[in-house]
Amino acid sequence: MPERRDAEYLVVNLARAIRPNEVTFSGVNSVLPMAACVLARRAYDFDFTYLSVAGGVDVFPKKLPRSSTDPALLAGTAAIFSNADFYDLATRGKLDLIFLGAAQVDAFGRTNVSAIGDWAHPKVRLPGGGGAAVMMPVAPRVALWRSEHTTRTLVEKLEFITAAGKTAVLVTPYAVFARDPAKNERFHLASYRDDTDPAAIVARTGFSFEAARAVPTAPMTARERAALDAMDAFDLLENELPRVTGLR
Amino acid sequence: MANKIVSLAEMARSIPDGSSIGFGGSFLHRAPFALVRELVRRGARGLEVIKSSPGYDIDLLARAHAVSRAKAGIVAIEGGLGLAPSYRRAVEDGELQLEEHSCMTIVAGMRAAAAGVPFAPVAGVFGSDLLALNHWKTVADPYGSGKETVVVPAISPDVAVIHANEADANGDARVYGSPPWDRELTRAAKRVFVTAERLVSSAQLAQQPELTLLPGFMVEAVAIVPRGAWPGSLHPDYDVDYAAVEAYLEPGDAALARHLAAAPEARVFSRA
Repeated sequence: MPERRDAEYLVVNLARAIRPNEVTFSGVNSVLPMAACVLARRAYDFDFTYLSVAGGVDVFPKKLPRSSTDPALLAGTAAIFSNADFYDLATRGKLDLIFLGAAQVDAFGRTNVSAIGDWAHPKVRLPGGGGAAVMMPVAPRVALWRSEHTTRTLVEKLEFITAAGKTAVLVTPYAVFARDPAKNERFHLASYRDDTDPAAIVARTGFSFEAARAVPTAPMTARERAALDAMDAFDLLENELPRVTGLR
Repeated sequence: MANKIVSLAEMARSIPDGSSIGFGGSFLHRAPFALVRELVRRGARGLEVIKSSPGYDIDLLARAHAVSRAKAGIVAIEGGLGLAPSYRRAVEDGELQLEEHSCMTIVAGMRAAAAGVPFAPVAGVFGSDLLALNHWKTVADPYGSGKETVVVPAISPDVAVIHANEADANGDARVYGSPPWDRELTRAAKRVFVTAERLVSSAQLAQQPELTLLPGFMVEAVAIVPRGAWPGSLHPDYDVDYAAVEAYLEPGDAALARHLAAAPEARVFSRA
């Protein structure tokens, strides 16, 4: 099932963005990062702290809720780390890795989640960036995901810049792009799915990028596979693909 | 102690057309959705919705042509159900004037209103087109750090409505779990209303006052509305009723009428 494979590639490569001992966070409308954090806890040996917009600290539910804002992410938490807490944590630079979504992404990891067409008279009104404009400039690192990888979603010029800042990683169903968030630099292609190649990624990407360092994405490990299977959330993850989200 | 209990219909009638309303909760969780439906039933017009992450609530009001302005950071139904279709149509048609925020910029505005100052600083935002779009100003640190900070104007909704797990007749309201931005909202608004799952005694609330988010002296009225957050969740009392959300999303007036008639408050309460 190609769609399942797309969703799994997104989740595994978002999980791989998490580093040992980091504090990480998933927000509203963020099922894929929620799944990535649960996968990382089960598949990797290092420790990290996972905060969710629902207010839970290190809650890794056995059964993923359909909504990443769901109080299921409070079950068993030792503390309520509420909205004011995690926003302030982020804005004082202590949320190490923040996952953010987008409709369009440019080569500098800036995002448009606002509108297609003129903002005041949009052809398509998009959901909006949530806290992205506030968080993206202050987070040490941001990992983006985009479930549709085409020339209209990965673009040279955004129709509106909803948020800009310290993007380090962009994961799509076909590739992982990376950049140094401390520098004003463009993405380079870090890795690509093993059934594609750099030329194919170039063809489906609207911004230009350097691909000299690109390698095939490391195959899913047995532990990553097992963690995905244990989540048993394929319907949920496929729901995040563009067929369903309305972000096409 | 005052008895502030009113019916849901009385509460909806006391919110005039044209009001700016901040709703509690986030997306499908802990929001006063019964009151939103009651505003639709009374034929409200020209409302402004102020909420970082509205979804079903603003969509329903847009579907009923009850909302003409909004301050919001992200709008979606969530739960794998995509964008909010009626909200989207209303913005695209120009029926709804959006002031697009970045969630925390709304909260910073509410914090300013709560603290009684005309504006408040907020981190980040630089590099975003929202800065110019909203004519937000920046200030240099007057204490000389050299840091430039965005400041947003105070936001004081005419009305705040939150849904609590428990309330007493005085309006003291207890919330379990995470209250999203309900604390900031209720401190920023000019009038505060509570809908609550259950009526409890003041003595019960006094046993654990740290769970009382909102003291009654700040509250104008309270309506006891079991399953008042339906079809959303209320921690820890009930989960999202996704079948009902999906039924709501069916297009057409008949589907909307069916949805409103299926709501718990339509089946439980006599229509006052």
